[in-house]
Amino acid sequence: MKTAHELRPGNVIMLDGSPWVVQKTETTRSGRNAAIVKMKLKNVLQDSTTETTFKGEDKMEDIILERLACTYSYYADPMYVFMDAEYNQYDVEADNLGDAGAYIVDGMEEECSVTFYEGKAISVELPVTIVREVTYTEPAARGDTSGKVMKPATITGGGTVTVAEFVKIGDKIEIDTRTNEFKKRV
Amino acid sequence: MTNETPAASSYKSPHWDIFCVVVDNYGDIGVTWRLAKQLAAEYQIEINLWVDDLNSFSHILPELDKTLSQQQFFGVNIFKWNKPLDIPYRPGSVLIEAFACELPSQVLSTIDELHQESKTNFEQSINTASKPPVWLNLEYLSAEDWVDGCHGLPSMQASGINKHFYFPGFTSKSGGLICESDLFNQRDKWQSSPSNKLALFKKLGLIGIEANDIVISVFSYETLALTALCNYWANIEVQNNSEQTAIHALIPLGKSLASIESLISTPLNKIKAGQQFTVGNLTIHILPMTAQTQFDRLLWSCDFNIVRGEDSFLRAQWAAKPFIWHIYPQEDDYHLVKLQAFVNIYCLNLEDDAANAWSKTNFAFNQQESNVVEHWQQLICAQSALQQHAKHWPIDAKKDADLASRLVEFVKTS
Repeated sequence: MKTAHELRPGNVIMLDGSPWVVQKTETTRSGRNAAIVKMKLKNVLQDSTTETTFKGEDKMEDIILERLACTYSYYADPMYVFMDAEYNQYDVEADNLGDAGAYIVDGMEEECSVTFYEGKAISVELPVTIVREVTYTEPAARGDTSGKVMKPATITGGGTVTVAEFVKIGDKIEIDTRTNEFKKRV
Repeated sequence: MTNETPAASSYKSPHWDIFCVVVDNYGDIGVTWRLAKQLAAEYQIEINLWVDDLNSFSHILPELDKTLSQQQFFGVNIFKWNKPLDIPYRPGSVLIEAFACELPSQVLSTIDELHQESKTNFEQSINTASKPPVWLNLEYLSAEDWVDGCHGLPSMQASGINKHFYFPGFTSKSGGLICESDLFNQRDKWQSSPSNKLALFKKLGLIGIEANDIVISVFSYETLALTALCNYWANIEVQNNSEQTAIHALIPLGKSLASIESLISTPLNKIKAGQQFTVGNLTIHILPMTAQTQFDRLLWSCDFNIVRGEDSFLRAQWAAKPFIWHIYPQEDDYHLVKLQAFVNIYCLNLEDDAANAWSKTNFAFNQQESNVVEHWQQLICAQSALQQHAKHWPIDAKKDADLASRLVEFVKTS
């Protein structure tokens, strides 16, 4: 069992007798420190998606399907192709990458976990932390170094992450892929 | 009483159940009690309100008998929620868990049973009236942007039954704000005659308040900013060396008082409602706890209100008077993000000087800063604009629908 707060894109959970792939998670805070997790889920059996909300501490049955450690190889529209250690290739639909898609870039070396259901690659789970370069962000307005003032930044691959104001173009930053949160400059 | 629950569908009735766990004395129960009363009075819905702490509830509903497990006021059935539940749960058409409280296992198993029954009947094409209640989690009020994107979304449970998250809010895409249909008329009528406020102060045992004195209600958490403000109010006359309007701070027993213990030189455990302490230009009146209607009138009658949490925060907005919001503190100062989100929408149509002073006063109060006094002085300079804004704000904020009416519509379409 995992709490909604612990789930991340690529996980597969069981709801009402069906497996659902977590495609996107967004955690916010309600009153009294309670976490609210908004998710985009895809029903593996029906190929349908839904947006849903959970309390952060809601417990879900995460199911362990067949998984393989793979690295990203190349993009062949509309499929992302991943390769395992034995050079077998697996196609993953762009739609099934969910939030992870923002971090998939050519030449990436991080090892991902590809999940299979009945022989089909249905999702990709990224490492918990990933390092990407900032390709664009506005300059710091007030020279804040506390890390509390935040601003948006575009990273390699085109995704956007909210970063501390001191982060500059060209900086490499560590991102928590579960929450899409900026962790630190590396 | 027994906790046995016979076949779920045989008990189904159109009433609504609201479950409330009292966490912070008056906030959770304040919101749910207002909603329950409004749904019963304006929509003629039979409401069962389940509350786990009748003692706290009795402070805002003094007629409540804390020893009874079932009673009715204002058309609302009030049930004492013991754990485990010792009153049989009869599923109605709507089930509301207030502020994500954990529902009793008996309730969860009953609605699961109804869900399975309804699913089986659907699969076998059997026509049946049995279906689980519309299940809602009534969430906390927030002005943050994400609320619109989460409001109304389903939350599929392991059994397949959907619960919906219902988020109160300030936009047309949110769940709205609790506001009784006749509230603004009643407020305007009350505020049209100054004799009403003086009569109320007298009724509450507050002695020595003249019509032109400045009266400030204080219902906050502990904060050094309140200490600083009270010190400033007490010493205004001395500082200015001129005749000064007297200031009265109306403070109930509880958290706010801890902030001014040093000022009144009396141990907190010796202080009783009805006492008053004069320090320089400031008179501190210890308020008795009052029913919600009386609390609303108190907010309408004061020149300035310092409020906390959610229920009194909203009622202060409806009072059409300037206020400071002492927001419930959260980890990593996240409450300041919530405060900023509200400041952004509240100040949208407020002129710059007033907006700046109001925003800074609120942040200083919440961050326990002693420079709250400087911001307060700026605020007083912008008083006229702030007062005008406070009058217009309730109309802008309520827009065309209050929470109860949006909730009733939401249930109809769920």
